[in-house]
Amino acid sequence: MPSVSGLVNVVLMVLMWMGGCQASPLRAVCDPRVLERFIREARDTEAAMRSCGGSCAVTSVYTVPLTNVDFTDWEQKDIEGQVAEVQVGLSLLVQALVAVRKTVSVSPISSLLDSNIINIQSLIHIIHSLSSQAQPLTYLEQSAQTHTHSPSELLHAQTNFLRGKVKLLLSAACRTLGS
Amino acid sequence: MTSDRGSVLMICALFLAAVACRGHTFDKKVAQLLREEPENIKCFAERMRDLTCFWEEGESRNSSLHQYTFTYTYQYRNENSSACEVFEMPMLAARGRRLFYSRLPRIEFFAQLHLCVFRGGRELYNRSLFIDQVFLLDPPANVTVVKTGQRGQLNVTWLPPALKYMDDSMMYEVRYAMEGNPMRKETVKATTKLTLRGLQSSSKYKVFVRVKPDGITYNGYWSAWSDPAFGTTPPSDLDPVIVVLVLVIILIFFLLILFVLVYHRKSLLKKLWPDIPSPEHKFPGLFSVYKGDFQEWLGHSNSSTRPIHAFTEELPSPLEVLSETSLAAPLPNHLSPPRPATTPRATGLLREDSDTTEQGEEPLQSRDMDAGLLDRWKEPPHTHWLMEQLRALQKHPQALSQSSLLESQDTYVTLNQNSQHAKEEGRQEDDILEESLPLQALFASGDTSLSAASHSDLGSLQQSSGSGRLSSQSSFEYPNHTWPPKGPGYTYMAVADSGVSMDYSPMSSSMGKGVVYANEYILGHRRPLSGQQVHS
Repeated sequence: MPSVSGLVNVVLMVLMWMGGCQASPLRAVCDPRVLERFIREARDTEAAMRSCGGSCAVTSVYTVPLTNVDFTDWEQKDIEGQVAEVQVGLSLLVQALVAVRKTVSVSPISSLLDSNIINIQSLIHIIHSLSSQAQPLTYLEQSAQTHTHSPSELLHAQTNFLRGKVKLLLSAACRTLGS
Repeated sequence: MTSDRGSVLMICALFLAAVACRGHTFDKKVAQLLREEPENIKCFAERMRDLTCFWEEGESRNSSLHQYTFTYTYQYRNENSSACEVFEMPMLAARGRRLFYSRLPRIEFFAQLHLCVFRGGRELYNRSLFIDQVFLLDPPANVTVVKTGQRGQLNVTWLPPALKYMDDSMMYEVRYAMEGNPMRKETVKATTKLTLRGLQSSSKYKVFVRVKPDGITYNGYWSAWSDPAFGTTPPSDLDPVIVVLVLVIILIFFLLILFVLVYHRKSLLKKLWPDIPSPEHKFPGLFSVYKGDFQEWLGHSNSSTRPIHAFTEELPSPLEVLSETSLAAPLPNHLSPPRPATTPRATGLLREDSDTTEQGEEPLQSRDMDAGLLDRWKEPPHTHWLMEQLRALQKHPQALSQSSLLESQDTYVTLNQNSQHAKEEGRQEDDILEESLPLQALFASGDTSLSAASHSDLGSLQQSSGSGRLSSQSSFEYPNHTWPPKGPGYTYMAVADSGVSMDYSPMSSSMGKGVVYANEYILGHRRPLSGQQVHS
C-alpha cells in the first residue's frame, strides 16, 4: 500500500516538475481513485492509532484545520477562498503529522504516517497550482483551525479534511477542467 | 438568545411542515430505520440540506410531548448546544409505542455532531455521528429496461439521486429475475446503467434498483427498492454464420461417408452380402458347357479333369476285397473287402481304372485327396476285366448285397499293408474268408478314425492313417455301430474326403482276380458311400 501511494506521489511530482500546463498534476488527481486512496490510508492510520491506544505517540497540542462544511456557505465562497482554506488546512495537517511522526516508533503506524505525509504534500503541490495568486503558506485563517490534544484526533481531522474540503475543491476543479 | 432560540424553533416548524407533506416516503424510511438502526436516536439525511432524527418510547409512558427536548451541537464549536422542536408521529400507535422526531434545519458535513434527547430535563438518549455517514437516499427513479439487440441481454438504466457533489460517490444494486425464479443481484459503482447478461431468450424480467453512498467520502443505508421495471429478452435466433458452418460440416461428413462407401464397396459388399459358395470351380465345364447336366459331364469328362469315376446314383456298386495274390504287381494299396450294395442314393467317384491301369503307376490323386497319405496306386493289369465286372454289378445290384450291416451306406476299403508282404498262398483263403465277412467285421473303430469325411466341401480332405483300427464313417449316421477289430495284421489306411476316399485292403490271392475297390465319399457324412467293385 505505501509503495503504491509513494509511486503516485512521485508521478505527481514528476508531472509538476515537468512544468507546462498547470492542469497536468491536477489531471492525475482528478482520477477519483487517487483521492480515494489518500482517504483510505488516512483511515487506516486512524484505525491503527486507535487500536494502539495512547502508548504509540506522545500526547501534545496539535493545530489542525476545521473540517466542517456547510454547503451553503461553501458555495458562497469563491474559488480563491476555497483554495486558500484548503491550502492552509493542508499545511497545518502536514506540520502536525510530522510532529506526531517524530514521536512514533511503532513500525506499522510510522510507515502509515509517512504515507499520509507524502499524500498531504502531494495535495499541497496540486492545489497550489489551482491558485492564480501566490498564497503564502504561513497565511492562516483563524476561523478555520482548532486545536487538538491527541494524535487520534489529529488523524481524525486529517480524514475528515480530505473527505470534505479537499474533495469538494478538487471535484469542482476537475469538473471545470473536464468541461 | 431568546430571539435566536425562537428563530431556530420556527425553522424547525417549517421543516416539519415540509416533512408532513412528504408523507409516505418519509414513513417508509422511518420504518426502515426502525428495523435496521440499533441506536435509539436514529438519524438519516435525505439530501444535503437536512437531517432527521427520531426515537421511540413505550406507551406506558404518559409523557407529554412538550416534556421532550432535542439538542444538537458540533464538536468543533466550543459553544452551547442548540435545541430543536420535537414532534410525534402516530405510525407506531397500533403497536403501543410512541415515536418522536426532530429535524435539524442546517447541517454541516465532515464534522462530528452531538445529539441529545431530554425528557423533563433529564437526558434520555445521546448520540455522536457524522451527517455525511447517515445518508438514506430516495430510490433511483426512471428505471428503464431495454433490449440490447444481442441474445440474452437487457440494458438497465436509471437516474441518480439529484445530489450535488455526490454523483461520483454512489453505488447501486440491481436485482432482477424472471417470473417465479430466484432473484439475482449485481452491484455497480459510479454508473447509472448496467447490462444484464446470460438471460433466457424470450423471457420477461422484472428489475429493481437501489442506491447507497459508496462509503469512501459519504456513507449511509441502502435505499428502498425502486418501483419494478419490466423487460423482455429477444427471441433466440440462429446466427447465420453458425448455420452455414453447421451445414458445411454436415456436407463434408456426408461426402466422406460416400467416398468411403464407394472406395470400399467391394469389400463391404463381401462382408454384408457374402457370395454363396459354389462348387462350380470343382467341376470345370459342368455349368458352363453342360448346363448342369452331371451325367453328361461325367460321360464327357476325361481323366485329366476328373481323376476318378463318378457313380451313378441309381447303380449301387458292390465292393469286393481283392486278393493280393491275384495281382501281378504288388500294390502298395489294395482295395477293401467286398461290401454290400449301397443305396441308390449313394454316389461316389471312383478312380478310373482303365486310364490309370494303362498309365501304370499313377498316383491316386484327386484334387480332394492328400497325396501324402496315399501311396501310388498301381493299376492292376486286368483293368478291362474290372470294368466288365463293374458293369455287371451295375446290372445286377442284388448280387451286391452281402451284408446287411452295410446298410449303413458307408463302404470302406481297408488297406492291409502287411498282407502285401505276407505269403499269399497261406493266407489267400483266409483273406478271402476274412474278406467275405461282413464289412463290420473288417472295420473296427479304433484309434484311428476318420475325420472330416463329412465335409461337404469338396475341396477339403481329411485323412487318417495308421495301422490298427479304422472307424467307419458310418458312425456319423449309425453311431451305435461298433466294428469289431480286424486284426493286428491289417493296416488300414482310410482316406476320406468329400470327393474321394480310397481304402485299400490286402488283396486275396485265392480270389484269383483281385478286386480293387474304391469308395468315395461325396459331400460329407450325410451322403452314403458307394463302392464299385473293380476286379483286377
